[in-house]
Amino acid sequence: MASSTPSSRLGRRVRSGAGTAAMLLPGGGWLLLFFLVPLYYVFLFSTGQRWQGVTKAAAFVNGELTSFSWDLWGQLLGPDLKLDVLGASGTMPLWVFGFVEAGLLALALLGGRLGRYGRFVSPIAVVLLVLPYIAIPWGHGLHRIAGFTSPDNPSMSLLFRSISMSLTVSIAAVLLAFPVAYYLAFCLGPAKYRWLVIVIAPFLTSYLLRVLAFKVILTDQGLVNTLLFDVGLRNRDNPVDWLLYSQFTVFVVLLYAWVPFVALPIFVALENQDRRLLEAATDLGASRLLAFRRITLPLAAPGIVAAFLFIFIPTIGEFVTPQLVGGTEGYLFGSAIADDFGQNNDWQSGAVLALFLIAIVLALTGATSKFLRATGGEV
Amino acid sequence: MSRATATVAVSKRGRRTLTAYFVFFLFVLYLPSVILLIFSFNDNTIPVFPLQGFTTRWYSDAWHDESLRAAFGRSLKVATLTSIVATSLGVLAAYALTRRRFRGSNAITAFMLVPMVVPPIVIAVALLMLFRKGPVQVDLSLWTVIAGHVVISLPYALLLLVPRIAGIDRRLEEAAVDLGASSLTTFRRIIFPLITPAILSALLIAFVISIDEYAIASFLSANSETYPVYLFGQIRQAEHLPPMIPVASVMLLLSFGVVVLAEVMRRRGDRRLGL
Repeated sequence: MASSTPSSRLGRRVRSGAGTAAMLLPGGGWLLLFFLVPLYYVFLFSTGQRWQGVTKAAAFVNGELTSFSWDLWGQLLGPDLKLDVLGASGTMPLWVFGFVEAGLLALALLGGRLGRYGRFVSPIAVVLLVLPYIAIPWGHGLHRIAGFTSPDNPSMSLLFRSISMSLTVSIAAVLLAFPVAYYLAFCLGPAKYRWLVIVIAPFLTSYLLRVLAFKVILTDQGLVNTLLFDVGLRNRDNPVDWLLYSQFTVFVVLLYAWVPFVALPIFVALENQDRRLLEAATDLGASRLLAFRRITLPLAAPGIVAAFLFIFIPTIGEFVTPQLVGGTEGYLFGSAIADDFGQNNDWQSGAVLALFLIAIVLALTGATSKFLRATGGEV
Repeated sequence: MSRATATVAVSKRGRRTLTAYFVFFLFVLYLPSVILLIFSFNDNTIPVFPLQGFTTRWYSDAWHDESLRAAFGRSLKVATLTSIVATSLGVLAAYALTRRRFRGSNAITAFMLVPMVVPPIVIAVALLMLFRKGPVQVDLSLWTVIAGHVVISLPYALLLLVPRIAGIDRRLEEAAVDLGASSLTTFRRIIFPLITPAILSALLIAFVISIDEYAIASFLSANSETYPVYLFGQIRQAEHLPPMIPVASVMLLLSFGVVVLAEVMRRRGDRRLGL
């Protein structure tokens, strides 16, 4: 290399530049053509520059927009939001709510830099951001601490229901998977990688088939109800009928589907931590609990956040599970999009919902890319 | 890991509790698959307890189900083509992104990984619009499904390939170039043999993603429904369930096999790179 003359080096660089472009073109071009351009068409539909009807007149008769307009976006984002927190209720415009959420997200991410009290800001912001959506699965439904609804706007209510569902599933999955990851990382010898594969393997098998298995388990005469009959907790004529086709079912099936996968990022975070830190802590007289709280947990935090996001992001647009086991009350935001393009045949409204969903997901991914990158490369 | 660290991290009692939890976790995790396997031999037209007796008729029913066979054949075709296309595009892009430093390479990497976080339903409806209402009318077919499946599996191929290529000692390539090898020869003789295991895992991952993909296939396959779309239609109705259960059991066992195979190959690849 050192002997090459400037001109030949220049020639090589030019050639290598062209080569790089040639290597990136097929993959990049494919994504451009089948990912970005389609999204552009979704935008055109959402603003009424394209319509579903055969002719402009037919589209007009169907009630579709036939020229540029933000009407559909206005219908989605315009109506006020109704808040019910512990009996108290109030309404506010959606944009105010959006600003509050964005502000809390910014505080959660940047709070640590605010100086003296900074380390309290992030956790408080996270709690304020997350708490209202957390739902407690009890009986057939999910019971939220705060109710967000939009009486004039069913899709927005569905969105909040979807967020609740994804959030509750993510938190439950992280809680259930953490001990597993901890056990793999700290209690098993070299066999741990083999056991890790055994834990994750169900995640990589067909999703539909696992849903099918749950249909068998949760029907009126399925495994759970039969067990209840046999133990005598339920009469054979009176099975627990909300096990299938309810929000509870969607919750259980999603949780079951994603739990194996979240063990992975948590395991990676635990596995990469320097074991000498724990030994040093114990040598200095720290109890196991203290060492766990002050060393293991903070070092595992990025993996935990990544695990949380790895479930939250893919489940927020979920529509297959609700269709198969959700019944009417399990209906989610993703189901609304699927139905707009399916039986409702209302592509323009569907386009607005799809873009809104993608905007939320991308904003969340961008804001948390730090955590995703920390463990994403290992997956 | 030393014995000492283990006792520092977990007490004896904690260890016992964790072991019990782990065993319970695996039991619950694998229970549904086991139940499917049991019901695949159950002699009853609806899959409910109590079990009725042993039969293999669901297996023979499934074997002779023509529409299932056709759907499965289509899925195999789509998955094979998807994995080949996605992996080829992935190898080229991964090589360019790891070996050539240029302005905006991070942005391009991010762009190529974005489809991973976009809900499949959005990709499905966007492609539906492009093909049905775009500038060029394209009839929906297996090809349109493949177009979508490549979009969602390309990021996974990249994630598998980039670390492998980055892990190759750069001096190997420099030595080859100094000895007069063209860049194509260098790739063929140096890079390719070293990343073969990663390429095989990328092929497998893309194949597995495609063969199980429902959202895109359901919107873009029109009348030529793929296996997941067919399966979805069947499992919505209780009376169609039993013949699907043996299919499910076989597929689950097969995919466990594939997972184990992929893991073995990945390990071998690590060893080859001396990781």
